[in-house]
Amino acid sequence: MDFTVFAQQIANGLVNGMAYVLIATGLTLVFGVLRIVNFAHGEFYMLGAYITYFVGTLFGLDYIAAAAISAVVVAGLGVAANKLIFWPLRRDHEFTILLSSLGLALLIANGGELLFGADPKYVESPFADEVLDIGTVTLTQQRVLVFAAAVVALIAVYLFIRYSRFGKMMRATAQNPDGAALTGINIGLVHTYTFALACGLAALSGALVGPTVMIFPTIGNWAVLKGFIVVIMGGLGSVTGALFAGLLLGVIESLGGGYISLGFMEAIGYAMIIAVLLWRPNGLFSTARGLR
Amino acid sequence: MFGRRTLLAAAAALALTLPAFGAQAQQPPVRIALIGPMSGTGAFEGQLGLEGAQAMAAVINAKGGVAGGRKIELLTYDDKGSPEDGVSAAKRAMEQDNVDMIIGGWFSAVALSMKEVTRDKIITVMTSSQHPKVTEEGHKYLFRLNATSAMMSEFYSKAICERIKPKSIAFMNVNDDWGRLELDNYTKLLTGCGIEVKGHEFYNRTDTDFTTALTKLKSLNADAIYVAAINTSQGATIYRQIKQTGYRGKVIASAGNMNPKLVELSGNSLEQVYSASPFTEDGAAPSLKPWLEQYRKDYKNDPSFIAALGAQAVQTLAFGVDAAGGDPRAYDKIAAALKSQAVPTVMGELRFSDKGQASQAIHLVQVQKKQIVSVRD
Repeated sequence: MDFTVFAQQIANGLVNGMAYVLIATGLTLVFGVLRIVNFAHGEFYMLGAYITYFVGTLFGLDYIAAAAISAVVVAGLGVAANKLIFWPLRRDHEFTILLSSLGLALLIANGGELLFGADPKYVESPFADEVLDIGTVTLTQQRVLVFAAAVVALIAVYLFIRYSRFGKMMRATAQNPDGAALTGINIGLVHTYTFALACGLAALSGALVGPTVMIFPTIGNWAVLKGFIVVIMGGLGSVTGALFAGLLLGVIESLGGGYISLGFMEAIGYAMIIAVLLWRPNGLFSTARGLR
Repeated sequence: MFGRRTLLAAAAALALTLPAFGAQAQQPPVRIALIGPMSGTGAFEGQLGLEGAQAMAAVINAKGGVAGGRKIELLTYDDKGSPEDGVSAAKRAMEQDNVDMIIGGWFSAVALSMKEVTRDKIITVMTSSQHPKVTEEGHKYLFRLNATSAMMSEFYSKAICERIKPKSIAFMNVNDDWGRLELDNYTKLLTGCGIEVKGHEFYNRTDTDFTTALTKLKSLNADAIYVAAINTSQGATIYRQIKQTGYRGKVIASAGNMNPKLVELSGNSLEQVYSASPFTEDGAAPSLKPWLEQYRKDYKNDPSFIAALGAQAVQTLAFGVDAAGGDPRAYDKIAAALKSQAVPTVMGELRFSDKGQASQAIHLVQVQKKQIVSVRD
């Protein structure tokens, strides 16, 4: 077995996996804290990629600035979505909220097609084509950036949730929303911040991964599907679970595609969920209700 | 809620507009359905084809339309690049919207399914699909503009064997009818002239990332990689990612898939890459210049082969209707006219065989300094 190719496939898998983790973390946060299954999550990924593109081309800003602005703007859009849809529906059945999020997803995706055009676009980044040789493994700078930026973002999120006052509020709400409200936590504010964080992460993922592929308005479907696979495998509400499951999915897809069959690369992900859920029905890192 | 007053006012308003409708009832337009990939990975191809067709329709309508002064009206349908959606779009066009003729089949997989729905029912012009079975198993009202992959590969493999001369080759093909056929054709033809085929990888029509496959291909250490990509978005990503894996060999683009947007999106990864195309901007056909002018006036994109096919399709149908005396439903007459006469188009004169297959001249092209130039000996 050629070790170079093996190492390369693992490296590719880790990079892809990190992108999945970024998408999944936001999704699992929204579920863990707010008990909302948000099908529109992938659309914020798409918006992150597109806003980076437009800020870069229309205002001529450099890639990093464009990506940062995009994350902030989409976080704002997430807050707006919460205010318009999820907050007013918070007392309704979980299914109603799920269907509404599906409607939102369709709205954003098709609106995107109208606004941005259905033709594929390419997000410019100075790191996209430059190649780094790390030992025998070849990676573009952009892919290294995806991994590094994701690690930084995740550490920041973890520290925030663990140690900041607001993080504690989020964890309290995750454990028991009514109890948390009774102790004086402003649940509305928790909603707002959670959505801002989740959508910001999704947008960041879109901005980082965008330059490695073509973007078009329907990529949100792909993103939300990957996000859900990872979240289900890692356990709904578990951030550490999302981290492990995401990386695992990335690596297994890469190795499976590389050594078994490319045609079944997607199927491998689904087969993995089935296997994991048979063994651990609540996901790999599931425990009682709460945010971990 | 809507009192009588409102209803009366609405009726009066409607009555006032009726004369306007009456005045336009001179000659009904010739209604042509343009079914193409307007969304998904093939969206750019659909857009280019539509632009080319609309520009040609504008040129023809400005000169008075087709025989009897009838204007050409194009109705657009999205086949999403998938056979299922292509079939349902064709059904809608024929049964609900009652179109006179159909232009479609930009991708082979879609063409192969769509021809069954239109079989012997309506004049169908398939545009860019290359799979031979589209015409080999076609029907009496089916015409196909592009050269088949067999015709392309005969021409192109000679160029690869004699001009490019790699010692070994590996293939990166889309996993559909056309992609698999390309692999078979070129494996045979290139081994025939002594080139070693080291391996191949298939990718899916909906994939957005190709690094796994390209990593495998790179490790085969072939002299050249042949990329059979049907659409611009995946093609550009593949060419870029080939460079990003650090591959230093030659890259050969499949015939009939080169266009200016692909060059623009691929950055520098298409420099010196060869392809084959029936379209060159410096062709001698009389209808080429007016079409180029109209196209440049209406659209921002550079004129491309796909757009030229859209124009050719409209020209073919217009010629057929003219030759059949002006009735767009006289399908037998139109088919007979198209199969017996030379049709003047933007890419030269087309002759259709008994099976509806067009004969297109093919040119060798290369990307030099981000321009697609024809390579002449």
